[in-house]
Amino acid sequence: MMGVVIAVSAIGLYFADASATNEVEQNLQRQFQTQVSGLHQLQEIRHAALVERCRALIRKPRIHAALEDNALDLLYPSAKDELQDLMDDEEQSPADSVQGLRARFYRFLDHDGNLIRAQNPEQAGALPIAEAEQLALPHLPDRQQIGYIPVTGPQGPSLVETIAMPIRSSETSELISAIVLGFRPLGLGGTSNTGIRSGVWVNDQLFISGVSDATRAALTTAVSDAIKQGRSGSSLPAKLDGVRSLLVYTQLNPDSLYPPAYEVCLYPLTELEVRRAHLRWQILGSGALLLFVGLVSSHLLSLRLSAPVEKLAVDSAKNLERRERAEAALESTSAELHRSARFSADASHQLKTPVTVLRAGLEELLARPNLTVEECNELAGLVHQTYRLNSIIEDLLLLSRMDAGRLKLELAPVNLSQLIEGWLDDLSALPDPLQLTIESDFPPRLHVEGEMRYTTLILQNLLENARKYNCAGGKIRIAAHVEDEWVLLTVGNTGRPIPRGAQEHIFERFHRGAAAGNIPGHGLGLNLARELARLHKGDLRLARSEENWTEFEVRFLAVAQPAKPSPVGA
Amino acid sequence: MRLHTVLGFALSFFLAAILARADATLEGHVQLPKPHTAPVMNKRYEIVTKAGVVATDPPLAVVYLAGNFPAPATPAVAEVSQKDYAFSPPLLPIQVGTKVEFPNHDEAYHNIFSYSAAKRFDLGRYRPDEKPVPFVVFDKPGLVTLRCDIHEHMRGAVLVLETPYFVLSDTAGQYRLTGLPAGHYTLKAWIDSKTTLSHEVDLKDGETTHLDLP
Repeated sequence: MMGVVIAVSAIGLYFADASATNEVEQNLQRQFQTQVSGLHQLQEIRHAALVERCRALIRKPRIHAALEDNALDLLYPSAKDELQDLMDDEEQSPADSVQGLRARFYRFLDHDGNLIRAQNPEQAGALPIAEAEQLALPHLPDRQQIGYIPVTGPQGPSLVETIAMPIRSSETSELISAIVLGFRPLGLGGTSNTGIRSGVWVNDQLFISGVSDATRAALTTAVSDAIKQGRSGSSLPAKLDGVRSLLVYTQLNPDSLYPPAYEVCLYPLTELEVRRAHLRWQILGSGALLLFVGLVSSHLLSLRLSAPVEKLAVDSAKNLERRERAEAALESTSAELHRSARFSADASHQLKTPVTVLRAGLEELLARPNLTVEECNELAGLVHQTYRLNSIIEDLLLLSRMDAGRLKLELAPVNLSQLIEGWLDDLSALPDPLQLTIESDFPPRLHVEGEMRYTTLILQNLLENARKYNCAGGKIRIAAHVEDEWVLLTVGNTGRPIPRGAQEHIFERFHRGAAAGNIPGHGLGLNLARELARLHKGDLRLARSEENWTEFEVRFLAVAQPAKPSPVGA
Repeated sequence: MRLHTVLGFALSFFLAAILARADATLEGHVQLPKPHTAPVMNKRYEIVTKAGVVATDPPLAVVYLAGNFPAPATPAVAEVSQKDYAFSPPLLPIQVGTKVEFPNHDEAYHNIFSYSAAKRFDLGRYRPDEKPVPFVVFDKPGLVTLRCDIHEHMRGAVLVLETPYFVLSDTAGQYRLTGLPAGHYTLKAWIDSKTTLSHEVDLKDGETTHLDLP
């Protein structure tokens, strides 16, 4: 993460630096172009003024006469008056705003482009003849030509910007001469307050003020080399008095017959360096800040993210522990259950035989002829107890099979209505000491999913209870109806209700209600019925037990009525 | 005294006329350059300078008999007037020593001057009815270009010759010189400031010689 941020910062720094450098260089280039184009505009203004002046000049018959009538000796005297206002007036303030439009000298060229010497150079501006010869052109130009010639002035060598304007005959428009005016270079060689220096390169000489000779020589070589390589209007790095600078140059007089001259501008890059350093710090600072913020936020985020994970880890550790405990407990419970189921099964099996033997012995005793009535009744009671014991053993065996998961029902449609009717018949055959009334309300041919044997057992248990826990003159009500996919069977009976606190325990094994004190039973029936109902994919619950009325509800899965009613008691 | 002087002059003139009896005639055709402009019906022409060459347009020739002739005792007087802002005639051939007057027939000022080597002069600005009429005596042979310092388009020329025998050809180049002295001479035809044709000719009294140039 940190590496990525550092890498991104480094890349950002690099690109920002490059773009800043580029931008500054472009700005400088633009500035330079603006300066040069400003200069060019000024030159154009001057040019326009000069064109007009030359047109007026050549309209002067005397100048025309001097040129055309081979009276060159009269040329400069004739031009003197005409050009007087164009000439630099030494007495005038140099700060004159039209300074740039005032010429230092003027000379004429003949129709071959050669210099027409001035007899009295004072009239046309002083210029040594050797320097004046530089004004000559290979031929007369048909348009304005700009040149830069070095001259020796009172303050040492300097540069003069020359403009050669063609002079055409007013009659035939043919070129008859050219006038060359020398000006102080416009806006050149100055040093602005921003430290920008400009100069002019011409003829392998660089005219720039305010630099040492060594610097000038180095710059001259650099510019000469660059120009000789044919690069025009370009820039190159340079050192100016130890300050890294950008050197920009562009030709001042393209397509001129005069030697090419280049405007050379030196921009100190100190500002750029400062800006670059500033930028570098900014980027580094922001990178560091970013890094810091990133670190802090990622830390916070990770804390926040890890909290639930840690909690989860702790929880899972706890859970694991708990689970392990639970599993261990479950295992031991399961083992215990298994053991107990086995024990129940084994015990039931082991018990069944002695009970059978016991009953057989008792029945044998009962068959003896010399028994008294009391003895007979006693023995009959004992025999009855063996039946009861057998029933308990059967129940326990069934439960233990269910507990061990070994009881698998073979489900098939069972005609519940028929089953109930059969049981109601049986019930009416039994002795009825409580004088019970039996009500029933169920549609015929209700079919449920189940195994006949166990479905019967459920029903038997419920009806037995309804009869056992009834009161004298009480009532039993059996009802069944279809609800959605279920068949709901309710068995209700009058009698003391099950106390509220005991209601939740009635389905527990060996639970017997408080009211069951003298009622025969062993506390397995409801438990067995419920387990069986659940094996039927249904359930058994206590629907209500209040105000002398207790009602159980058992639900079975309804099945579509089979085409052929299944046989009863199969 | 006065009478004697007059008689003396008259006698000398008479003698001179006897001695230099000249009645030969020379005529012919000068091959002229093609005109710059389309020929016009009127016979006007003008002076033009092209590539430093002064000529008339349409081209005309000044045909003259070269030789060493004595200057006239009384200088001749000729006239180049300024009329309708033009010199009239535009080209004036004269013998050396001729006095040329420059009357101004326009309603504006004129300032006739010349920078030509043969005669530099500047008459200054003068009014239309300037009296005496400004004049110049041309004392050196050569071509003198006339200009007006006020009207730049005005252009004229005076061809100063060392001979009294000269004539301006017509635009077709035909010329005719009369009253020439017999003898062996060189006939010259000035066409422009750079071109002068010449041919030897023998003239006999009372005869008309035909000579075409070149």
